[in-house]
Amino acid sequence: MWVGVLACALGSTPSRVRAQSSDSVLVAGMRAYKNLEFDLAALLLRRRVAQLTAAKAPVADRTQGLVYLGAAELFRGRRDSAVAVFRRLVLLDPRFRPDRLVFPPEVTGLFEGVRLRTKTVAIVVPRDTVIPLQDGAFRAWLVASSFQTVSVTLLYENGTSFRPLYFGPIGDSLELQWDGRDAAGQPVPVDRLLLRVASRAPTGELTSMLQLALDLQISSPDTVPWPAPPADSELRPERAAGGSATRALLGGLLLSAAVVSLPVAVGSHDTPSGPRVAVASAVGVATALGYLLHRPSRPLPANIRANDAVRDAWQRRVTTLQAENARRRADVRLRVHAGDPAAIEAAGP
Amino acid sequence: MRAGWLLPLAVAVGASRLPGQTFHTAGAASVVTARVRTEQLGGAAQFSGAAFGAGGTLSLGRFQLGLSYLQGRLDPDTGSAHARDLIEGAVLVGFRPVEWLTLSVGPHARAYAASGQTQRWLFWELRVRAAKPFIGSTVQGYAELWRAVAADANVPEPFDHAQGGEAGMIVRLARAPFEGRLGYRIDHAVLGGGTRLETVDGVVIGVGLAWR
Repeated sequence: MWVGVLACALGSTPSRVRAQSSDSVLVAGMRAYKNLEFDLAALLLRRRVAQLTAAKAPVADRTQGLVYLGAAELFRGRRDSAVAVFRRLVLLDPRFRPDRLVFPPEVTGLFEGVRLRTKTVAIVVPRDTVIPLQDGAFRAWLVASSFQTVSVTLLYENGTSFRPLYFGPIGDSLELQWDGRDAAGQPVPVDRLLLRVASRAPTGELTSMLQLALDLQISSPDTVPWPAPPADSELRPERAAGGSATRALLGGLLLSAAVVSLPVAVGSHDTPSGPRVAVASAVGVATALGYLLHRPSRPLPANIRANDAVRDAWQRRVTTLQAENARRRADVRLRVHAGDPAAIEAAGP
Repeated sequence: MRAGWLLPLAVAVGASRLPGQTFHTAGAASVVTARVRTEQLGGAAQFSGAAFGAGGTLSLGRFQLGLSYLQGRLDPDTGSAHARDLIEGAVLVGFRPVEWLTLSVGPHARAYAASGQTQRWLFWELRVRAAKPFIGSTVQGYAELWRAVAADANVPEPFDHAQGGEAGMIVRLARAPFEGRLGYRIDHAVLGGGTRLETVDGVVIGVGLAWR
């Protein structure tokens, strides 16, 4: 039977069929382990784990295969292989623990030993985060396989340090916060950073490094343009034009002349001039007064008040928009898109 | 001839009242420093004195009806003539073709009463009056000319012609219906081919009330 299963697992069927068959391989491997057929289990599981790793399958699937593989290797008498498998398992998922109802104490004990010796962390971050730069923070959760010392650093893409976030011990887990700024408090000037976590043994030896990329985008709302200042057409003239004064002057002169020349106009040539000169003089005085009151370029208080009201209204609108723009300028947000964590060679810090 | 120019006016007056038009009334009291000078071949006589009058207009759209009355006592300036009373009255129907111009027509009667004798004059006048503000909207200047198209007087000389005019200013208060008026007026009549000249002139000072 297992020959047929093995043939299916190793066969070159189309991918979909192969995936279904591969799941069958995993199940067959686990069943072989439970049937104490450890050699067959190790063979099936090792191949399946290799396939899952190559296909970057979900961590849960890979850990399931690895823990059975490690247990099978242990019971095959290959303790070193079992340790290596468990180490891979811890590095893959530091939070993983074997089910004590499924695996005997030999397996769980070996796994615990490996876990305690393996210094690594898992980085848990939301895939997408938007934080206000003014008072927000990007949060990352570190889950450690065991007690260790970690240094967490933000790096430029070229590997130079951008800002150290943490250096110190970590027991079970640790929450990290980053305010979206550099060490000087300025908003991040680049659109991509690397979050790198280096784990060290108590001896100070670098044991593992994990890194993920953070794609960054700063967004700020557009400011509102100021309203245009009042146009000339909206404002009244604040100084009198010369038309009224000229009309008063010409009208008064014409009227005075009419009064003085009225007797001649009606054919009377022997009329005393006193009364009409008196009236003409009164008209002249009124004319002079009217000219002064309507003299050109005199201030027009009513128009000045009306224009002041228009300008004040515009200024109030400007003040309101200034406050609104200040609020919008302060409302700068940082969008963070986190990539997948990846282990890197321990050649860094 | 009179019917010739009265006909268009009558047609105009007979036109139906336009919607939204309302009556406007105005009244005024005035004092006139009147001077009457009569020149004849035998010499000249001059009287002067103060007369008091009142008048009013009733307007509807472009048409108006004006009434005026004036009465005063004139004392002789020269000679030994007796003082006499001056009484004047006029009824004028007017039409405003444009805002600042008024054409009017109507009878204008004048009487001099002294020692039981009364000298009566009746003119049928055609008047042209132009009025327009010239100092803001407060002070309005006006000038009026009239000519008698017919006249009747109980004097020996036959009527020849008569004409007159008035010019002055009206001060209107912006927030009140009151107005003040200062003007100079003159009437000049020629009778008997120039053997008799009658001139009446004077300064008019008035206070009016107009509902606009």
